Amino acid sequence: MAHLKIDNVAKSYGSVVALKSANLEVIPGEIHALLGANGAGKSTLMKILTGVTTLDAGSISLNDLPISFSSPDEARKNGVAPVFQDPALIPDISLRRNLKLTSTDEKKFVSHLQAMGLTVDLSTITGLIELPVLRMIDLARALSHDPEILILDEITAALPIDLAEKVIAIMEKHKANGKSVIFISHRLAEVESICDRATVLRDGIDVDTFATDEGSEERIVTSMLGTKSMPIINPKSELGIGSEQIFLEVENLTQGQMLTGVSFTVKKGEVLGLAALEGQGQDLLFEILAGERKPDGGSIKVNGEPVKFKHPRDAIARAIGYVPGDRKTALLPQRSIHENLAVTTFRKIRSWGKINSTSESELVSNAIDSLQIDTRAASQVRQLSGGNQQKVTIGRWVTTGFDLLLCFDPTRGIDVGTKAQIYALMREFADQGHSVLLFTSELREIPLVCDRAIIIYEGKIQGELPIEKCDEATLLNAVHGLPGLPGLDVA
Amino acid sequence: MKNLRLRERSWTIGITILFLILGFWRSQQLPKFGGYEIKTIILGVVPIALLAMGQSLIVIGGGINLAIGAEALLINCLTAKFMNGTSFIHSLLIAILGLLASVAVGVLTGWIIGASGIADIVVTLATSFIIVGIAMVIFPIPGGGTNAHFAQLITGGGNSFLLPLLAIALPYLLIWAPLYRSRTGIAIFAIGSNKDAAFLSGVDVKTTRIKLYAIGGLFAGFSGIALTCVTKSGSAIITISNAATLNSVAASVLGGIALSGGVGGLFGPVLASVVIYFIPTIMLGYGIDPAYSQIIQGTLTISVVLVGGWLRLRAKRSK
Repeated sequence: MAHLKIDNVAKSYGSVVALKSANLEVIPGEIHALLGANGAGKSTLMKILTGVTTLDAGSISLNDLPISFSSPDEARKNGVAPVFQDPALIPDISLRRNLKLTSTDEKKFVSHLQAMGLTVDLSTITGLIELPVLRMIDLARALSHDPEILILDEITAALPIDLAEKVIAIMEKHKANGKSVIFISHRLAEVESICDRATVLRDGIDVDTFATDEGSEERIVTSMLGTKSMPIINPKSELGIGSEQIFLEVENLTQGQMLTGVSFTVKKGEVLGLAALEGQGQDLLFEILAGERKPDGGSIKVNGEPVKFKHPRDAIARAIGYVPGDRKTALLPQRSIHENLAVTTFRKIRSWGKINSTSESELVSNAIDSLQIDTRAASQVRQLSGGNQQKVTIGRWVTTGFDLLLCFDPTRGIDVGTKAQIYALMREFADQGHSVLLFTSELREIPLVCDRAIIIYEGKIQGELPIEKCDEATLLNAVHGLPGLPGLDVA
Repeated sequence: MKNLRLRERSWTIGITILFLILGFWRSQQLPKFGGYEIKTIILGVVPIALLAMGQSLIVIGGGINLAIGAEALLINCLTAKFMNGTSFIHSLLIAILGLLASVAVGVLTGWIIGASGIADIVVTLATSFIIVGIAMVIFPIPGGGTNAHFAQLITGGGNSFLLPLLAIALPYLLIWAPLYRSRTGIAIFAIGSNKDAAFLSGVDVKTTRIKLYAIGGLFAGFSGIALTCVTKSGSAIITISNAATLNSVAASVLGGIALSGGVGGLFGPVLASVVIYFIPTIMLGYGIDPAYSQIIQGTLTISVVLVGGWLRLRAKRSK
């Protein structure tokens, strides 16, 4: 018996077809993964299921009864509770008022939260709570409605490992109670270990459904990419280790309690990986290097010359480009790809008066080509998929030119195909003699693209690992601050 | 973790101090300061305070109503026209009809904004012209009046300032206080704070906006009736409604309402509207040109917002 049955659902937004004909069957007591590259239609399908939007064709039934929700509230009342990537909590009001707004039972909510090992003051203004905790709160709120079907959209993407483990435990428990979970994730290893079955969407059609077991990772990737099959990550080109010239030298950088005595160097022609758990001070480090924030102490040298950044433009003048973790802060959402790519070059092209569009066009089209940006929705970047938006933020620095690119978790929530393209691009930058400083929350991606890695824990450099020793297990231990690791050169 | 709330509280404390200083100043200025003088001050404040409450509510809900002064003006003209020379009961009925009319205008405004998708500021700018136009058609020559006993419901008798004070306190206690606790109230904060999250939390954004403008209209209606009772007349003059609208926005901002929506309460704006009343009155007491009081009011508004912004920044840093 199917718990939930989605039958040939279609949905178009204007001329853009988001779903052609999607099918999904979830049986009671299973964790079902919904997979697909960016733009495959996962989000649209979940929006239809949760009453955020309506379907054009097809049908959905829950426990053999046809359903069609006209609002998220209705979906919740009928046992379908989603937890979205961006927690659906109102930032300016207290947590208690948020619960009241969604008619959530306070006692149930608190007990779910306690089961997660979290205690939160309900009178706290919601917007002041950190994102990982906010996601757990959103999850606890969803659980308080005793959902038949729990939908978790990329919930583990920004969670520290301990919280992610709790989420997994909750999913298991939910499953044990004979209810089901729809789990959306880009972390294939996670899918393989947690989920019972998986459905893969591609171009708005379900292309494959199968039981997950050992080795299904490859099958997932193949069906996600279809004929455009390619390895997960581009194999590393000849490493640019040859160069021993140092581009950036950071010494004793300190920022309050969050960063203390951070020293490291970035060589020319290398991709330096930075491994850390969420919130170990890496965000501050990136902001300082990008000129967004002034450090309390320490020095930065570029090409051996001491520099003091007072404004991001000072960093840009030193050919340091910054790709921030939140794509939304970097992009001009209502403007075209073209303008978004050119925005940092305006200085170069002409600072006052009319922008010379011929020279701009050349730079921009070069960037679009080299990054393989999908330009179908070229008029407004907010219509692009996450992966393509990320390419635009990187492409911006390709058009400007840079010596060092600071990439803060550039592949979060991005499909494997685009990931591979982005990493191949980084290797290309390094081979051209540029440098990349890469922070990624996905540890196993570090050995695939980096030349060496530094580890930050509680605002301090914990050590440096040569690439041969950067296997996931070693990194995992190191980012947790476990001392005495073999091969960890204490800096 | 509670810095935001602390900021709100410190803002209210700030505006209260400003209110006390100016109040003391004004009391020193007058040869005699007693019940009658307090009553005069409150009566001068009632229309603007009620309007400030309506505007603040709308701003909390993520909107802004540039027609709120016009709405009050329309109700002022309607009531002054039809209450003139009538009995108490008749005037009371007219007042109720006036309130219904202003709520209806609010409903219509909220509906237009939701249905058209045009920004609040544009829609209400347009409706402000329409509403003032209607008022001018209905009531071309200033005048009219009201039943004397009915007017005393707001103006009170003798030197007691209890009734004028209740004219502000009752709407606050009977509309705002229960609204703040209700689901509709939370929904108003929600759509002002983050529309998408509000929608995902099950809020019907369009209906909530209509309710928001309807309640805002109710406050504007009260304000219009208060104006009729205080001035015993009505006048359809566009400069009056424009000044009233701008003062209501100024009172909201001074009172700690974030123009970005989702933040604030109605207590601050009420005190702020008294502050706004005091500045020209005190200046006038010194025989200073009213033009200067405009400059001072503007400077004060910017200074307060600057200090508020600085406090917020500090709260964020220390987080």
